Amino acid sequence: MDPITAMIGIIIGGVIVGICVHFIPASAVGAMSASTGIATGPSMLSAGCGLAGLYAAGYSIKLGLPITVVSGALGSALMIICTMLLANAICAFGTGVAPVAGTYEKDPITGWRQKPFMSPGTDGHSMPTTTALSGIIGALLGGGGGSLVFASTYGMLTEVTTIATSTIITIAGMIAAGVFLLNCVLPAYVLVGKTEGMTDPKMKKLPKTFVSCLVSSIFIGVFMYAAVVVI
Amino acid sequence: MEPVTLTLMIGVGLAGAIAFIAGIIEDAESDAGSASNPNSQVQLAPQIGHIIRYYDKAIAGEPPQNGLWAAAACTIALVVSWRFLDLGIGQYYAVFFAAVVGAAIVCLVQGCFGVFAHLSRIASFNPFKQPLYWDALLTPLPYSMGLAFLTALLLTLLAFITGGLLGNPFAPPLLALIFGVSLGSIASGTGDIQYGAERLYQHHIFGSGIQISKMGDIDLKGEYGFRNSVDTPYFCMRLGGTITAFAFGLIIFLDGWTRLFTFAGAWTSVILEAIVVIVLFIFLVWLEKFTRNSYGPYPGQEDL
Repeated sequence: MDPITAMIGIIIGGVIVGICVHFIPASAVGAMSASTGIATGPSMLSAGCGLAGLYAAGYSIKLGLPITVVSGALGSALMIICTMLLANAICAFGTGVAPVAGTYEKDPITGWRQKPFMSPGTDGHSMPTTTALSGIIGALLGGGGGSLVFASTYGMLTEVTTIATSTIITIAGMIAAGVFLLNCVLPAYVLVGKTEGMTDPKMKKLPKTFVSCLVSSIFIGVFMYAAVVVI
Repeated sequence: MEPVTLTLMIGVGLAGAIAFIAGIIEDAESDAGSASNPNSQVQLAPQIGHIIRYYDKAIAGEPPQNGLWAAAACTIALVVSWRFLDLGIGQYYAVFFAAVVGAAIVCLVQGCFGVFAHLSRIASFNPFKQPLYWDALLTPLPYSMGLAFLTALLLTLLAFITGGLLGNPFAPPLLALIFGVSLGSIASGTGDIQYGAERLYQHHIFGSGIQISKMGDIDLKGEYGFRNSVDTPYFCMRLGGTITAFAFGLIIFLDGWTRLFTFAGAWTSVILEAIVVIVLFIFLVWLEKFTRNSYGPYPGQEDL
């Protein structure tokens, strides 16, 4: 892969990773069944699901860019759907509450009313259908973006350097994991610990995330280009 | 059957089984140390006048903490296994014993981390008259360290299996980091709900959710004497641990399973994963319907 194209790939991938955090429903208060979303911080959950996608993408890295990106996206989606399904199961059987969203009256997909099932004094519980779909979209974006960073770094290093392939794959994996941990934390400043995915009003703050992730990704991309090509 | 496929099948089964057990143990470890989001309740309790005896080592998020233990154990194990191979020990024995060495060192580090984290947490409760009970620290500490040892050992072995038998190209320490962070976020997102919403609040009505106004009003009495953190994992392991294990085990197993087939060339695993995601999404919708029908609307809110 041409180093300039790879650098652009790293930047685009980094920005997508940041955007994905807005789509994945997560809330720290969810651990007490007091809010809609997976029961952990949005940033850490997105990092976890993105890294699961990276693990899946690793198998396909030698088969080309498209398959690596799609594998990563679906690996992340698999992680998030397993987590959401079983989080709903534990809310159903462990704490005795039904999935309810706090940001809409009727589920746009199933049409089921939400308010009657919400415990008084809470903002919702676990993930209803539309919220879960938002999580899958977020995971597809995050896994795809992270895998794009991974594949681009791999492409840049194989094009320019003579390092052994196995070492290049691990270096590229570490760079992608680093981009995940960095760009997943940046949206935390606008989400402040809680989001319900695409139905949440905090989606309006997406441009702020976009700009901050763009700046950080440009730094990483240019630094990678400088480290690999110039130096 | 070709030997390569047989190796892959053994690898997928073994990786799924180890991931399953690692899920149970990791969830128990986080519950024993109040390591995840429910720690906010443990911290709130002294602020509303409850004197607690919980072990609280939550000074870092569960995913990075767990990723650190797994990556550190795997890195030590990789270095030690090279030394064992030089000494003429067979490669499988070398990897296993090196993994034990790595996990043992990490277990000691986790013990130090836990002691200082708990001391600093309790010290910060000083304005709320919360005393430092040594039994609240020293009773769960070895238990928590043992669970950390098992988690680090299992994730190290899982990293070696996915790298060796399944052919993942990443170096084992990076794989261990990936598994550690992923498992941490899964355990935090699934298993810990039972700790935070049920075990800490057993004196509240089952199914009432935990209102914001009730937060911090956690259980102080255990089945026998004061409730401390040793009482928690055996309760949460039955459902919370199993659910975490199912989630992580399913991810590792299904991801490996989709790579056993080759009917569409390189895209086979992608197609199968997409089908699995759709099937699990249908399950999710079905479970939502089942839960709503089983519990019905909250009493008094039928007309909202």
